[in-house]
Amino acid sequence: MIELKNVTGGYPGVPVIDAVNLTIRQGEFFALLGPNGSGKTTLFKLITGTLSADEGEIFLDGQALSSLSKLEKARKVAVLSQETHVSFDFTVEEIVALGRYAFQTGIMKSLSQEDRRVIEEVMALTEVAQYRDKPFQTISGGEKQRVLLAKALAQQPSIFLLDEPTNHLDIKHAFHILDLLKKWQRQQGTTVFAILHDLNVASLYADRAALMKDGRIAEVGDVSMLKKEPLLQDVYDVKVKAQAHPDVAKPQLLMAPREEKTNRSDDFHAGAAVHTEKGLIHITFDKPLRTIADGVIGAGIQWLEHFCNFHVPKHYDPADPAEDMKTWLAHRGIPQENALGMVTAVDLADAVFQTKTISGVEVMVMVTAGTENAVDITYEGRDRPVRQTGTINLMVFLNRSLSDGALVSAAMSAAEGKTKAVIDCAVTDRFSGTSATGTSTDSVVIGASQTGEKMTDAGSGTAAGHAIGRAVYEAVCEAVHRSYKREDAEQK
Amino acid sequence: MSKRFVFMYAAAAVFLSGASMLSLFYSSVTVPVASIVQIIFERGIGLDLGLTASESEGRIIWDIRLPRVMLAMCVGASLALAGAAFQGLLRNPLADPYTIGVSSGASLGAVIVIFFQLSLAGLGAFTLPLAAIASGFATLLIVFGLVQLTSRSLAIETVILAGIIISSFIGAIISLIISLGDQDAMTQIIYWLYGSVGMRGWGYVQLLAPFMVVGAVILFVHYRELNAMALGEEAAEHIGVNVKRGKVFILIGASLLTGAAVAVSGTIGFVGLVIPHLVRILTGPNHRHVLPLSFIVGGGFLVLADLAARTIIAPEELPIGVLTALIGAPVFALLLIRKRFGKGRAF
Repeated sequence: MIELKNVTGGYPGVPVIDAVNLTIRQGEFFALLGPNGSGKTTLFKLITGTLSADEGEIFLDGQALSSLSKLEKARKVAVLSQETHVSFDFTVEEIVALGRYAFQTGIMKSLSQEDRRVIEEVMALTEVAQYRDKPFQTISGGEKQRVLLAKALAQQPSIFLLDEPTNHLDIKHAFHILDLLKKWQRQQGTTVFAILHDLNVASLYADRAALMKDGRIAEVGDVSMLKKEPLLQDVYDVKVKAQAHPDVAKPQLLMAPREEKTNRSDDFHAGAAVHTEKGLIHITFDKPLRTIADGVIGAGIQWLEHFCNFHVPKHYDPADPAEDMKTWLAHRGIPQENALGMVTAVDLADAVFQTKTISGVEVMVMVTAGTENAVDITYEGRDRPVRQTGTINLMVFLNRSLSDGALVSAAMSAAEGKTKAVIDCAVTDRFSGTSATGTSTDSVVIGASQTGEKMTDAGSGTAAGHAIGRAVYEAVCEAVHRSYKREDAEQK
Repeated sequence: MSKRFVFMYAAAAVFLSGASMLSLFYSSVTVPVASIVQIIFERGIGLDLGLTASESEGRIIWDIRLPRVMLAMCVGASLALAGAAFQGLLRNPLADPYTIGVSSGASLGAVIVIFFQLSLAGLGAFTLPLAAIASGFATLLIVFGLVQLTSRSLAIETVILAGIIISSFIGAIISLIISLGDQDAMTQIIYWLYGSVGMRGWGYVQLLAPFMVVGAVILFVHYRELNAMALGEEAAEHIGVNVKRGKVFILIGASLLTGAAVAVSGTIGFVGLVIPHLVRILTGPNHRHVLPLSFIVGGGFLVLADLAARTIIAPEELPIGVLTALIGAPVFALLLIRKRFGKGRAF
């Protein structure tokens, strides 16, 4: 546990730190964040004892820092900083052994059995034992930092102070070091106090954090406080967007460059082009659109330029549709990173393209529809999932700026329009005999040009939502009729 | 201690005693090895081995050659040990015992004694070494004072800079004194500055010995601090080293050795710079072994250098400082080349 009580201090004549109160709890990983010059390093040096406080007191595990001798402190606290230059040609093992300095007693002060046991243990843990006889100067930066970590762990500290320990490391070695630290912290209940430069790394590894600004603590709390965009913008003066990490329940931050207002062409139309060829409808835009989609590839919320609807045979049932799709895209020279891909068994000649301006909102829609596997989503009697090709694929593009939330409501508006069309066209679920609400494998993409004022909602109560729903409704109706017509023609 | 180090200490001891015996034996008047052994045991520890040795042989060995060998040994050992400590403390492989100005201070004391032909009452010939030791210490205090005024924490960079400032200043004063003196004093001063261990007698050995013992003990007990200093001062502090106290002790220990060695022999170069490197190539950088082995090897090296200095153009003598460089530089170069192509260790 580390407690700072009203600590003021810094360099002679320059009290960088101004009356800071802070408690770092026993066994937690605490990150100290803030821009350069905010006083992070000065505060760190006050805690390590490199600088002494002008006012206030620092307590380590309840003992006043000023009352501890250097040896007592070293048995309690270990420090790992950015990069340490080691002069002379010490071997890895000799460096790690230096961590036992504070534990050597007696006249000879040589390494005891216990010292050797600890050294072996920490070298094994940090995976440096295999370089034990190598000169420290000859190993790589990542290995060096692991050796210095081992030296620090050899102190068997109850408090670990880290000053940007991964600053000069690539992500592989940085995460390796942090994983090792986190593991040790969990196992030993060590209190970790770390200056971290990278807000996203801090968010992933720290339990709590403090943000410093101008020598004061601007905010302390759980790392979820990093979701407070205005706070970060105030402290760092950079445009910051908070997002959820896709796999870990922690926020991640996205920084945006300070951009000039771009004069993107208002002519949404002119930027769009439709290429139809055998087996593919390919719509492109000259600038990426913000998209929400559930295609085979390009799913989720993204920025995409190519929108592809591929034709496949009726009983197409591949092991890996995404791999197939990538092959087709590569074959046609379409960059898969910027592409959305859907598949349909419907004849692409029956595709409906519409551009409409409804309630002042310009909407472009592409629909292909087949109704063989129409389903009533509410029907409970179905015993197996219907998975056949023959689908309603929807592509909706609009010349508006949508927030992520507005993208979701836009997708909902499109789905409502589609369902209404399916019902009005009297499409029925063959199993239940009830009105269908769609087909079993429908796909949707909403693409927004992100021009104009940002909208936070595109649901049915908004002009944009209405425009989407109406345009989709009309296009789906038309597509369903075309598919009926073709069925009739084939039966004759 | 591993076998490797047992072997190294044994080899160093053999080198030191071999060099000493060779130096006692090899001279204008040949004294048999058996007689040398007899004289040393009889006069040294009062043990009669029953071997024959004449009275004149006794005088040559005991009164002339042995003190010379002992003085060379002590000076070489002191300089090499001080050099190893300075290099470790200042984290600088180019550091040597003369880096922080103590030697210049000692030289100034000696030069003043020679120039003004001083002879303090009751001290006689010892006026010079004592004045040198005293002024060496005064210089160390001035360096400390200067460092304290500029840096609270006794930062290493400041120590080096202060040493260079003081050295240059004192060097200028010495040059000034030399240029003011007559031809005679000038020759005498320059010859003293070149360094020599000849014609000094047991008195000088006795003068140096206590400083050497105290300085060596201080450094030996601080070997762990010297190792830790390799991490840098802040990191050393973080593993529990009292860096400031350690620095003060190591500077005092190394200055004791340097000041006393310069006072009795002049400024003999190269030993303090090269011997620690040579030892590090063989043992690695751990000061636990670098310090004692530098001490032993430095002693043996200067004994050999002195032997060469007085025999190469006998009966004339070469300045020993010139010889140390003439022998030391090629040996050092060879070791560097061997390391480049072999499996030796870097600095």
